[in-house]
Amino acid sequence: MKPGRWLVVGMLVPWLTGCVNATVDQMVFNSPTESMGDASVVILGRRHASDYETEPDFIRCVGSHIGARDDSIRIIGELEFLNALYPWFEPRTAPLRPADLEKLLEHRDVAQKFASLQTRYMIWIDGSTVRGESAGSMTCGIGPGGGGCFGFGTWSDDASYEATIWDFTRRAEVGRISATASGQSYMPAVVLPIPIIAPVQGTACDSVGDQLLQFLSSDN
Amino acid sequence: MSGSMTTAPERCRWLTTLVLACLLAGCGTKEVIVQSEFPDPVMNRLPLTLGIWYDDAFANHEFFDEASGRAESSWLVNTGQAQVELWQTLLKGMFENVVFMNSKPGPGQMNPVVDAVLLPAVDELQYAIPAHTNVKVYEIWMRYRFHLVTTGGDPIAEWTMPAYGKTPTAFMQSDEGAVRLAAIVALRDAGAHFATTFTRVPQVEAWLNSLPHTGQQQAAP
Repeated sequence: MKPGRWLVVGMLVPWLTGCVNATVDQMVFNSPTESMGDASVVILGRRHASDYETEPDFIRCVGSHIGARDDSIRIIGELEFLNALYPWFEPRTAPLRPADLEKLLEHRDVAQKFASLQTRYMIWIDGSTVRGESAGSMTCGIGPGGGGCFGFGTWSDDASYEATIWDFTRRAEVGRISATASGQSYMPAVVLPIPIIAPVQGTACDSVGDQLLQFLSSDN
Repeated sequence: MSGSMTTAPERCRWLTTLVLACLLAGCGTKEVIVQSEFPDPVMNRLPLTLGIWYDDAFANHEFFDEASGRAESSWLVNTGQAQVELWQTLLKGMFENVVFMNSKPGPGQMNPVVDAVLLPAVDELQYAIPAHTNVKVYEIWMRYRFHLVTTGGDPIAEWTMPAYGKTPTAFMQSDEGAVRLAAIVALRDAGAHFATTFTRVPQVEAWLNSLPHTGQQQAAP
């Protein structure tokens, strides 16, 4: 193959992605009736389950997705918020219901910290992306003359996330969004393995992010 | 000619050495040194002067798990430095005054005057990685034992406290990196657990009620 063709193949490979199916359900009880103003939004991951953990990367992705599309919404980073209110939002101590916030605010220092952060909405995201069934086989070898792989592999990924929106000023749950996505990735290998990855978590992130953005921007 | 050129058999030897080194790397000891900064706790300080004494086993705490088979790796998890960092930050945020003792509290020891001295210890540490459990999380579990004593070494309270941390698998993250993160989560959990339950430990509660300056204020956390 001519060097020019290799260059074209090399440029196309990163754009190859597998197919992803996504489903989004939204249930909104009370949409915002006034502008966010200087208020902020914090997005936090639920980490109570024993067999999975909401990925910090996913929380960052949703925050970036909203921040990139509407710069009037001030998103507080998860770690920044957890550190600012340590030890009250660790998995062991985090409030499980909006009513629990009332008890938390009885602590003077905690109430002051919340006031300084100007938190209007607290969004809890619970879920994870898991690897499903995989099939195929690949053999790689290396020798003095070089190395290479031959074979084919495929696997599926499933993402399921639920976002719960708490209105901090009303101490009430005002919305719930769930998103699921699944996709099949492929990796054919003839000398070089060519990964064709289905962006399952990224699609779920976009789905949740779009719905949250719609909710948070509905008053603007 | 360049001095860095090698012959084909020489290249083969290098390649074989490299492949063997890569294979053997999986069988060596995986060493994790846990280091982190911890946030100041947001809470009303208890009006007490607390002394702290860390013994060597605590300040240099490490956990070693020897591999049970050829395919597995031994693990060495060193948490001592992070333990000291966590408890110093946490206790300074929980009590009005925190004093580090010159020596272990006991009769005849020259130590500053304090209301009580806290002696933390790690009783047990366990870890789990996805290769052990088939669950895609790395876990660290610890059990602490606390002794609260007078400057003279007389016991006031003794209790144990569990702490747990986990972190999910992530792309391009090594086992060591994930265990380090899980340990940091476990240490944060230890701090949160201690801060929110200290005044509710029955012996501690009784002792606080017996003190004239804390009896009315101990519900702080």
